Amino acid sequence: MSAPLLQLDQVTLRFGGLTAVDAVDLAIPEGELMGLIGPNGAGKTTVFNLITGVYAPSSGAVSFAGRPLAGLRSHEIVAAGVARTFQNIRLFGSLSVLDTVRVACNRHRAASPLQSLIRLRAFRESEAAVTRRAEELLELFNLLRFRDAEARSLPYGEQRRLEIVRALATRPRLLLLDEPAAGLNPAEKLELVALIQRVHREFSVTILLVEHSMRVVMGVCQRIAVLDHGKKIAEGSPEAIRQDPAVIEAYLGPDHATGLFHH
Amino acid sequence: MIKKNETAVPKPLLGLLLALGAAAGLSAFSDRIDPYHLDVLIGVGINIILAVSLNLIGGHTGQFSLGHAGFMAVGAYAAAAVTLFLGPRLIPDAAPGGFQENALFLGALLSAGLAAALAGLLVGIPSLRLRGDYLALVTLGFGEIIRVLLQNFEPLGGALGLNGIPPYTTVFWVVASAALAIYVVGCLVRSTYGLGFKAVRDDEIAASAVGLDPARYKVVAFVIGAFFAGIAGGLFGHFKMTITPSGFDFTRSIEIVVMVILGGLGNTFGVILAAILLTLLPEVLRPVAEYRLVLYAVLLVALMLLRPRGLFNFRLGRRVSSS
Repeated sequence: MSAPLLQLDQVTLRFGGLTAVDAVDLAIPEGELMGLIGPNGAGKTTVFNLITGVYAPSSGAVSFAGRPLAGLRSHEIVAAGVARTFQNIRLFGSLSVLDTVRVACNRHRAASPLQSLIRLRAFRESEAAVTRRAEELLELFNLLRFRDAEARSLPYGEQRRLEIVRALATRPRLLLLDEPAAGLNPAEKLELVALIQRVHREFSVTILLVEHSMRVVMGVCQRIAVLDHGKKIAEGSPEAIRQDPAVIEAYLGPDHATGLFHH
Repeated sequence: MIKKNETAVPKPLLGLLLALGAAAGLSAFSDRIDPYHLDVLIGVGINIILAVSLNLIGGHTGQFSLGHAGFMAVGAYAAAAVTLFLGPRLIPDAAPGGFQENALFLGALLSAGLAAALAGLLVGIPSLRLRGDYLALVTLGFGEIIRVLLQNFEPLGGALGLNGIPPYTTVFWVVASAALAIYVVGCLVRSTYGLGFKAVRDDEIAASAVGLDPARYKVVAFVIGAFFAGIAGGLFGHFKMTITPSGFDFTRSIEIVVMVILGGLGNTFGVILAAILLTLLPEVLRPVAEYRLVLYAVLLVALMLLRPRGLFNFRLGRRVSSS
């Protein structure tokens, strides 16, 4: 097997006396759709924050496409090809839907800021190309009808979708989705499952999905890793995870071997 | 699907050229305009430059700065130093209003802008670590440091300031500079690059998550904003013909901040109108003499109560409509 796209090697993060992430190993090969699950407070989002440079690991190393990410700041990690969404939606309050996607196209903009003042043909073409690409992406996710609306005024489910579009606009190789199903109703969850599969297929992007909803995780992931109290307690196919006693215990305590996956 | 909002001004470059033409035209007829009106017009223009440039820092990028008068001071002194000390050596026998004089003034204004931009770079760097109230205090401190330094620096006149600055500032220079400031800030914030300023203001973490460097955007905003404040300072000095450090104190910064807030943070058009209104208001209130400042304050309070998002926030609510 070739080297994994994302590799976490014994990554540990301590906040004072609390070990939030404890010697976690994780390897995601290019093209995989992997899930990361665990009870509340298990350290899932913290793992995302370690990958995206929000926190630096206390020990261990994160590397992406064979390159260590240590010392890189968040925006440099995006430039390397890692994009993310947020558990609590973080859209730009003053930007329209179109501008939200345009601003995420900045890494692939042809014209320099100085050209925006001289406004020659090259600038206009570059701006038109960005707008076209943003519109294409919005169209693909059925958001083009909201083009000029304020991003924050969208219905909740559409805001979640817009965040995914915004992340895709940076042209990532690895997409990190932080609880995309949070707050969605069952019908919307089904749509989301289809959407994630489509993104995975059509954008040929590797996906790491943090999720609470078993329906979503079991539905889309090829492989699942389970975190509990900052430690990885299991890893494997959805079927294997479903039956893993350590996982069931972590979620429901020792006496509740059934009922877990009806949520 | 309706294509709208491509850009609010369809041909910004044409607009700039028209504004420059209008400036030249206005300048040609300036003899026939009442000198008092001309003075007020120049004052309005300078305040527009200050307000629009602060709007880039405070409005679009969300960095609350109380040091704009400091940048203005740097520009005013730099420009005055060029025309007073360098001018007589470079062009000892220039004809008044001639080409040489105007070239010298252009050079002076550019030095003013560059000196202030350098100061903007120095202030922009602390803004990387501080936000909100803390940043406001640092910029306030910066403005005061500039003032105190100038007060104690004898080669530039110390507390007495610089006198006998040649009156190079004409309507043309002011209108042209204001047009340029509006053009640069307007074009920048509408471009794909410039959307980053707003993104950084709205949510820095999300901005870095789409690959923007918030630190860089903040410094760029400070540098460009300070550049135009410096030019405004240069125009101001060559208009009043005398500058003192105390003319660039904290209250001057506050005046500019009020223009930006009143016009609506990030709303270029509103900020221009607010700059016009707040420059004219003291003139209109002249007859009531000593109650002027009281009335001014009452008006401000009333405006903020009635139109908290800016007096000139005409942008209609863009709501979701499945059309």
